[in-house]
Amino acid sequence: MLSIDTGERATKAIDPNRLTKAQTAFEIENLGLHYGDKMALSEISMKIPKHQITAFIGPSGCGKSTLLRCLNRMNDLIDDCHITGTIRLDGDDIHDRRIDVAALRRNVGMVFQRPNPFPKSIYENVVYGLRLHGIRDRRRLDEAAEQALKAAALWDEVKDRLGDNAFGLSGGQQQRLVIARAIAIEPQVLLLDEPTSALDPISTLTIEELITELKSRYTVVIVTHNMQQAARVSDHTAFMYLGKLIEYRDTNTLFTTPRQKQTEDYITGRYG
Amino acid sequence: MRKWFTSGAPWIWMTSGAVSLALIAVLGLLLLIASRGLVYFWPSTLYEWQLQESQGETSVVIGERYERERVPRERLEQAGMTVPGEAPFVERFLVKTGNRERVSLDFRWIWQDQVIAERTPEALAVVERVRNGNFYGYPEALVVDGERLQGGQMATRLPSVIEEANRLRDEARELQSGAIGRINYQLEQLRLQKRKLALKGQDSPDNLAPLEAQASALRAEYQVLEQSLFALRQQAASDWLEVREMTGETVRLPMDQVLAVAFPNRMNLLEKLWHWMGKVAIFVTAEPREANTEGGVFPAIFGTVFMVMLMAVIVTPFGVLAAVYLHEYAANNALTRFIRIAVINLAGVPSIVYGVFGLGFFVYVLGGSLDSLFYPEALPSPTFGTPGVLWASLTLAILTLPVVIVSTEEGLARIPSTVRHGSLALGATQAETLWRIVLPMASPAIMTGLILAVARAAGEVAPLMLVGVVKLAPQLPVDGNFPYVHLERKFMHLGFHIYDVGFQSPNVEAARPLVYATSFLLVTVIVSLNLTAIAVRNHLREKFRSIDHG
Repeated sequence: MLSIDTGERATKAIDPNRLTKAQTAFEIENLGLHYGDKMALSEISMKIPKHQITAFIGPSGCGKSTLLRCLNRMNDLIDDCHITGTIRLDGDDIHDRRIDVAALRRNVGMVFQRPNPFPKSIYENVVYGLRLHGIRDRRRLDEAAEQALKAAALWDEVKDRLGDNAFGLSGGQQQRLVIARAIAIEPQVLLLDEPTSALDPISTLTIEELITELKSRYTVVIVTHNMQQAARVSDHTAFMYLGKLIEYRDTNTLFTTPRQKQTEDYITGRYG
Repeated sequence: MRKWFTSGAPWIWMTSGAVSLALIAVLGLLLLIASRGLVYFWPSTLYEWQLQESQGETSVVIGERYERERVPRERLEQAGMTVPGEAPFVERFLVKTGNRERVSLDFRWIWQDQVIAERTPEALAVVERVRNGNFYGYPEALVVDGERLQGGQMATRLPSVIEEANRLRDEARELQSGAIGRINYQLEQLRLQKRKLALKGQDSPDNLAPLEAQASALRAEYQVLEQSLFALRQQAASDWLEVREMTGETVRLPMDQVLAVAFPNRMNLLEKLWHWMGKVAIFVTAEPREANTEGGVFPAIFGTVFMVMLMAVIVTPFGVLAAVYLHEYAANNALTRFIRIAVINLAGVPSIVYGVFGLGFFVYVLGGSLDSLFYPEALPSPTFGTPGVLWASLTLAILTLPVVIVSTEEGLARIPSTVRHGSLALGATQAETLWRIVLPMASPAIMTGLILAVARAAGEVAPLMLVGVVKLAPQLPVDGNFPYVHLERKFMHLGFHIYDVGFQSPNVEAARPLVYATSFLLVTVIVSLNLTAIAVRNHLREKFRSIDHG
């Protein structure tokens, strides 16, 4: 069994299945997704709370990353990807034809498994999204870059070499740079797709601390294959298996008293 | 043996052998053309031979020894030559005797057996002339302003007189191609304007009067310039050098014909090297003379580089746009694959076919329509409806388009999708991602395509012969007359120059070293164009080196 520090979070835990409208960021209803003939997700219904950290866990291939990528429509980039059901962000269907995908993605930022900085300077990486917005004013860009880098706990390490190529940074720094890049455009939601899987333990720890801090300003959804990580950082955890949502509860309850047999098997390490 | 075979050693030998062969071939080729070409400029020793003629008389031959060979007597006799001596093999050598206007052939074979005496007198000089090639002989006297100088006096005055003659000649040429050329150009423009008015039916005296006034002003200016040109020429021709040639006669060489006088037998190694460098510099910077067999190849270098650069400017955007569409936007279906295969196969079409296409489509159809639309006043003499540097560049751009498309597509395919997704996830559209991330990252691959395109285009000759290259272009495509860049003009090209000098020249022996020298120059030009492009590419690679990190 895992030893989990429950401490303070247990007291203010809310049930993610009984959220009010104001508390909900994403409302997913009966979501299904097929790659060609292959089913990847089916019958997923859940609500993702605002300003909380929600983790998706499950064995490889269970569809947790696919579900995450549905939230900012990154699956649109894949040929023969077919989606049924609805996802609402603040009450608006994100698949609505009037929704501008680029605007949605600006609102729902994403950080990928491997750090993917652009081949530009550190500074240009951070202000990339702002430049897309058409912001050219040097002072505004400088300010936003500094804030984003500070929020991503990277400022002190790079403030003297903002003009250097981003590839000169270490893996952990690159991942924090990518997070800074995502929050520089001030999205509502931040999607993190196994953000620490390519990093060493110390970088992982820094990122985890950062994620907990981000909660106050952003709704965070994190996919992880590392159960300790989910337990450490998240408020709510969804366990998925073979494209289905098996159990979705607040993290403490899910890890201490899982209701489903499959969840228990997974968190006790019987498979996965 | 079997063990050696299974050890893999023969495989290594075989592959390394192939590499060595390739290296030897390349180096050997470069070495051959470099040595043959560069030796041409070396001041070779001048000989004076005393020869035994068949009737018992003797004669004197002065010249440079070009090559020496041993031939079987039988072969020569079969060819109908009478060969002195008895030996089964005869030694003979080729002599450049120069003095082209005085003898029927300026190259002749001499039998080694004929030679009675061989001397290398220090007083022998080679006089380079504007016309008729080199003159070999003993300078006897220099006549300056009617004053006859000999011996030491001549030697001290000669350099300054030659310098003066060159200065006058430069001045005359400057006048001719500069000021007079400009007036001719403006007069032609005025004639075209008049014709334009006539075509529109507006050639009333009122409209024509200002043009006429301009024209007569230009003509008056022309008269003045022509007078000063004649004066310069006369001044240059007033002095002369008297040279005793091999027949013993003294020949008067007007100084306006003399480019340089050198005494190679007096030079030490350093002086020879200096002389050699001077000649190489002239070859690279001067214009050709005497049906391209003398002088330099500057217009050909300029034409080659200009045409290739123009081609690069045309082919890059087209190729990149096509590749972007094929790779980023087109659906991956049978039609796209068919188009891709068709593009790759285009690279295999023989270049002369592109030349024919260029002539038929660009020159006649496009150029012809341009002429009738925009330059009707010049007809029936065509402006764009004739081969020219623009059409040559366009033809080569089509020829090299597949190369650029293929390498750009490869570059686009190598960009990791995580970087693209990173950009899209920040709310960039596909076009923004393409413009800000993908194309900059693909730029090294685009440069690679461009390098291959330049290498192919700079060496192409066959299609160019149909669409714009000429043996001798009177003007460069770029000059001081508005609009400064004249894309309709014909141009010279090093590759065609090699063909022309090598196979179309009236004087084969004189032209042969030039063929090597020009070939070497062409290789140098292509290599330096490529090196520039490679340097740019390496810089870009360094800038966008994420590709290597996956």
